[in-house]
Amino acid sequence: MQIVKLPKQNLDKFIKSLSKFGQIYAPIKKDANTSLFSKIEDSSQIDLGYNRTLLPPKKYLLPPIDSMFRFSAEAGYEEVEHGVDEKSILFGVHSCDIHGLRILDLVFSGRYVDNHYFTGRKNTSIIGLSCIPDDMCFCRSMGTDFVENGFDLFLSDIDQSYLVRIATSLGDDMVRASQSLFKEVGKEEIEKHKKKSNEMQKHFKTDIELYNLPEIMDLEYESKTWEEIGEKCLSCGSCSMVCPTCYCYDVFDELSLDGKTGERKTRWDSCLFEDYALVAGGTNFRSERSARVKNRYFHKHRGFVAQYGKPSCVGCGRCIQSCPAKINVVEVITKIRSDAYV
Amino acid sequence: MSKPKIGIFGMTGCAGEQIVILNCEDELMDILKLLDIRSFHTAMSKNDEKCSLDIAFVEGALVHPEEEISLKEIRKRSRLLIALGTCAVWGGVAAMKNEVSRQRLKDIVYGSPGRIFKSIPAQPLHSLVKVDFSISGCPIEKEQFLQAVASLVHGDIPVLPKYAVCTECKINENTCLLLEKSELCLGPITIAGCNARCANCGIPCSGCRGPVEEANIASEVEILEERGFTLRDIYNQLRTFAGPAEAIQTHLAKR
Repeated sequence: MQIVKLPKQNLDKFIKSLSKFGQIYAPIKKDANTSLFSKIEDSSQIDLGYNRTLLPPKKYLLPPIDSMFRFSAEAGYEEVEHGVDEKSILFGVHSCDIHGLRILDLVFSGRYVDNHYFTGRKNTSIIGLSCIPDDMCFCRSMGTDFVENGFDLFLSDIDQSYLVRIATSLGDDMVRASQSLFKEVGKEEIEKHKKKSNEMQKHFKTDIELYNLPEIMDLEYESKTWEEIGEKCLSCGSCSMVCPTCYCYDVFDELSLDGKTGERKTRWDSCLFEDYALVAGGTNFRSERSARVKNRYFHKHRGFVAQYGKPSCVGCGRCIQSCPAKINVVEVITKIRSDAYV
Repeated sequence: MSKPKIGIFGMTGCAGEQIVILNCEDELMDILKLLDIRSFHTAMSKNDEKCSLDIAFVEGALVHPEEEISLKEIRKRSRLLIALGTCAVWGGVAAMKNEVSRQRLKDIVYGSPGRIFKSIPAQPLHSLVKVDFSISGCPIEKEQFLQAVASLVHGDIPVLPKYAVCTECKINENTCLLLEKSELCLGPITIAGCNARCANCGIPCSGCRGPVEEANIASEVEILEERGFTLRDIYNQLRTFAGPAEAIQTHLAKR
C-alpha cells in the first residue's frame, strides 16, 4: 500500500479538490454532546476530533426510510429511481465504522444480492480517519481498531500531518488530482506514526474477552442473566438504530387516497420491537422481552460467527452510549462468561 | 362500489382530532371522493343520526353519562369503530386525576355551580365498547389519519408503527434529552408516529401519544429516579395523558 503525507495546513485545499469526486459527507458537531455525518462544503465544518457520530454511516447506504417501488392496480409496479449516478465521499470514517460497512457488504452480497445497496456502495468512496478511543470504545477487542481494506484513503493523525494510506485506484486518483498538496513520507513520519499508534493503545479502557464466546453463549442459553436484562430493557430500539451493523428493515405499503395506487417502502426495524417476530395468525415466537434481548446478543456474537466467521459487533460503543437503561454489551458478555464459570 | 359511509364524532375533548381532519386541506377533496361522510357535527349542518355506518371515527374521552349512551348507539350502527386521539384511546388529560372523586374535583374546579352537572371518571372508549383500531396522538398526526383512511378504503386494517419515540428520535439524530441532558423524557415508553416532534425542537417527550403496547414503566421510572426526579413528578407526567392505561395502572398499584 502506498503511503504519502498530507500536511494539515493542506487539508482544506484537499477537501476542496475532493468535491470533483462527489458530494462530501463528513462528521460535524451538532452540539456539545453530539456529532453526526452531514453534507459539508468546506473543511472548517468538519469535526476532526469526534469520537462517534450518533448514527453510523449506514444511514447513507441503508436509509432509515427508503422506497422500493410504486404500484397501481392497473399498471403493476415501477421501480423508484434512486439517483444511481450520484457519487459521494464519506470523509472521516473511523476504523470501526469501515468494518461496520464491510459487515453490511457481507450480508447484502449473500445468497440474495441487494443491488440497491450495492449501487449506493459503488458510488460511495470512503476516506478513513484515525481516532483516539474513549471509555466506551472496545474496538481493540473486536479486532476493528485497525483496518486494512474497505477504504480508498485512510488518514492517520501524526500531529502536524496526516499519513495517508492509498488503498484503491480511486484513492490514487484523488491524491494525484492535487499532487502538490502531498509530500513523500520519510523515516521520521513512520516513527511518529508508530509512536502515535502505541499511544492510541494506551487510551483503551474497555475490553471484552471473545475467546470461546459462541460456545459459552450456547451453554448459557438458559441463563437468568437474559431475564435480568429483559427486565431493564425498554424495547425502545435505540441500540439497533445506532448500530453500524444492524441491517434489519421492515417492509410496508403507503397507500394513496385514490384507493388504487401506493408505494412499497422499507424502514429500519429492530429485533427488540415487540412485533418483530409476530407472524400471520397472531403468533409471536419472541413475545418475551428477555427472549428478544437474548436474540440480539446471540445474533451478533453467536449466529453471525457461525455464518460469517466473525461477530457482527465492531466495538464502536454506540449502543452503550444510547441505552437509556444502561444495558452495556461489555458487561453483558462479561456476565455471561462469568455465569459459565460456576 | 359505493363509497363507505362515515361518521366523525366527538366525546369530551378539545375537538383537536376533528380540527386535524379539517386541516387536511390539500387532501379534503380526495377524502370526499373516497368517503360518504354522513355525520360530522363539527363541520356539517346536516347530519344523518340514524343510518348504518361503515366506519365511525370517535374522538374524546367518556366524561358524562350521556356520552356512554351515545357511544353505545354509535357502536351499534357502525361496522368499524376507530378511536381517534389520546383522549379516546387512553382517557387523555381528562383522566389524569381519576383517583380523586368527581365530587371533590367538581367542588375544587367549579365550586357550587359544579353541583348542577354530572361527571364520571374519564375513561377511554374501549372501557365501554369494542374499538377496532386506535390512532393516538394529542392531536393525531395528519399523515397517520390519511394513511389509515387509505388503508381502510383498500380494505385493510391500517398498520402503524408500534415502536417507541426513541426510535424516531435516534433516526433524526437528536441529542438524547434523557441521557445527555437529564430531562424528564417519556420517549422510551411512548408510541411513535409523531416523528419525535417535540424532541426535534429540544423539548422532552411528555408521553402525549400514550404508551407503547409493552411499556416497561418500572424501568423508565427507575431511570428517571436515578436522574433525580421525584416519584411525584414522574407519576404526574405518566398520568398526564394516559392515566387509565393498564401498564401505568399496574405499575402504580405495585408501588
